[in-house]
Amino acid sequence: MDQSAPTSNPNSDIQIPSQPIVPKELRFKNILCIEDERFISELYARALEKAGYSVTVEVDGKKGLEQARTNNFDIILLDIMLPSMTGIEILKALHDSGDRAKLKARFIITTNLEQKDETKAEIEKQADGYIIKAEVTPKQLVDFLQTLENPS
Amino acid sequence: MDYFDKLAKQIALYVFGAMVISSVITAVITWFCLYLFPTLPAALVIIGALAVGLISAFFASRVVAEYILEPLRVLWKAILHVSPGQHEVSPPDLEKIRIGRELVTSLALQVYQLASSTPSETKASEQTTSKTMIDHANILQTFPLPIFVMNKDRIIVFANPAAAAYIGKTLQEIIGINLYSVLDLAFSEGETFDQWLTKSRTSKVTSEKLWSHVRLSNGEQNGDKQLDMAAYYNKDSTDNAETIIALFDKTAEYAKNDDGMSFVAIAVHELRTPLTILRGYIEVFQDEVSGTLDPEMADFLRKMQASAQQLSSFVSNILHVARVEADQLYLQLHEEKWEAMLTSIVKDMALRAHVRDKKIQLSIQPNLPAAAVDTVGMYEVISNLIDNAIKYSGKSNRIIVRSYLRDDGLIETTVQDFGIGIPTSIIGNLFEKFYRNHRSRSSVGGTGLGLFLSKTIVDAHGGQIWVKSKEGEGSVFGFSLLPYAKLASEQKNTDNKDIKRVAHGWIKNHSFYKR
Repeated sequence: MDQSAPTSNPNSDIQIPSQPIVPKELRFKNILCIEDERFISELYARALEKAGYSVTVEVDGKKGLEQARTNNFDIILLDIMLPSMTGIEILKALHDSGDRAKLKARFIITTNLEQKDETKAEIEKQADGYIIKAEVTPKQLVDFLQTLENPS
Repeated sequence: MDYFDKLAKQIALYVFGAMVISSVITAVITWFCLYLFPTLPAALVIIGALAVGLISAFFASRVVAEYILEPLRVLWKAILHVSPGQHEVSPPDLEKIRIGRELVTSLALQVYQLASSTPSETKASEQTTSKTMIDHANILQTFPLPIFVMNKDRIIVFANPAAAAYIGKTLQEIIGINLYSVLDLAFSEGETFDQWLTKSRTSKVTSEKLWSHVRLSNGEQNGDKQLDMAAYYNKDSTDNAETIIALFDKTAEYAKNDDGMSFVAIAVHELRTPLTILRGYIEVFQDEVSGTLDPEMADFLRKMQASAQQLSSFVSNILHVARVEADQLYLQLHEEKWEAMLTSIVKDMALRAHVRDKKIQLSIQPNLPAAAVDTVGMYEVISNLIDNAIKYSGKSNRIIVRSYLRDDGLIETTVQDFGIGIPTSIIGNLFEKFYRNHRSRSSVGGTGLGLFLSKTIVDAHGGQIWVKSKEGEGSVFGFSLLPYAKLASEQKNTDNKDIKRVAHGWIKNHSFYKR
């Protein structure tokens, strides 16, 4: 076997269709990213904007809740550990005030924090999706959100 | 005593009647035969008539015996009717007695009187039972363990103050309420209380069981509790106490483990944040500048990328092992297209193989049935097996992943390398925690968590993991999975149908790996 410098495509042995082509008109275009780690929000915003999304970043939990209530967003990426208000509290506040049903946005929890099972059950009830950030690169996040465009 | 005289006369009359009947029969037959058949010898006629007379005497005496026994029978029934535990015996009908009615009626009435006078005595004994109940209750009042007593309808008929205090309610709020409305219990493994009780009811007279690591959801203000629980079932319990439950609080003790768990959770969170960022920026470089780099730099970049990936897998491994240790690894099995899932995981692993100059060949039998899989867990299993294959491949550079349907209907998946192999002396210990091939420690990194975790996860799927290896020739690790249809037919589980778990996350009604 060839032991020299690896070829450019490490996946050449495996037949997998290439990345899905991003449709020109996104149904879920406007994204609110509530994330206090600026490096992460920077990476997410960059990858999502390249894919044609429009991204607003919010660092603070309470401000994120206010932004969410404007109903300007199709997708809300919601971190859990946030200053002033956790992601779970945001979901709960929206749910308890009855606003959640009025919002068009899909809520995707993006976190690195492992949840207790009770919290997990709560999240499963309230959110539309859940990802562990460390396991998903920004481009994979884009793929993930693409599944919203093409419901199975 | 008149009654007896009367009865004696009646019996005598019946016996006399029976004797007269048989004598008359004998005489009539004798006369009849001699008159009709004068040729017959008289001796023969008399013997024949005597025989007939004796037979009729026999039957007549049976009838008489029945009549004479009747008063006794009636008395017997009357006594049975009033004795405890024989309530199904109906009272005798005194009107229908043919002989000795007065005597039997009077005796039966005396029996009834005795029986109805016993209530005063029975009451006394009842008082003693309820008194012992009260004594027991008194003892239990001050008993520090929470105790609940339930009747056959699972209604709490008794609880002690310790029980009320433990769940933060008053006794009035507990007694008379269904147990399940009072105690919201979650059992960590094996039979639940309800399953045990149902089973005990169908097959046992008494039964007892102890559960450990039970979780009690206790409302927001009281907080959750962790406990051990003992239950005793007694089908024939006389005082409505079919099942008795005692709780042993272990919240503080088990919370220590939880603290250990939350330490791991915090550490994992802290590790993951910079990892997320590293992987994100590396991806930007990979996508946007790798084409302009010289081959060596591009190679370095891939190595960074692969190593960051490996680190995040390892961090997940730590977390899951901590979960296993704390009995908190919960898997949810869902219907997954196995071919698509395996392909996707192998694709994720390709970079890691590539930077170590290994190539993964994937061979999947077409038209495999959908598998019952917890996607996060299964991702760990396959990535661990492939990581091991990469680590222990030595100079060989081929890794083969196969998946096929076994004859017994299970889906088998194997990961084969052609590397250093495993000595037979240690092959039995491979799936133990922290076990490693010590001879290879100098050349190969790793913690010995991967195989332990893989086995735990495969076991939880209802599958089996195995290894075949020969030193110097390589190893094959394989595991079996249940097709979803098989699992679904074994246990109907339609909960959470709208949620699909995917590796490292989930999305409602969508599959991350659908491509």
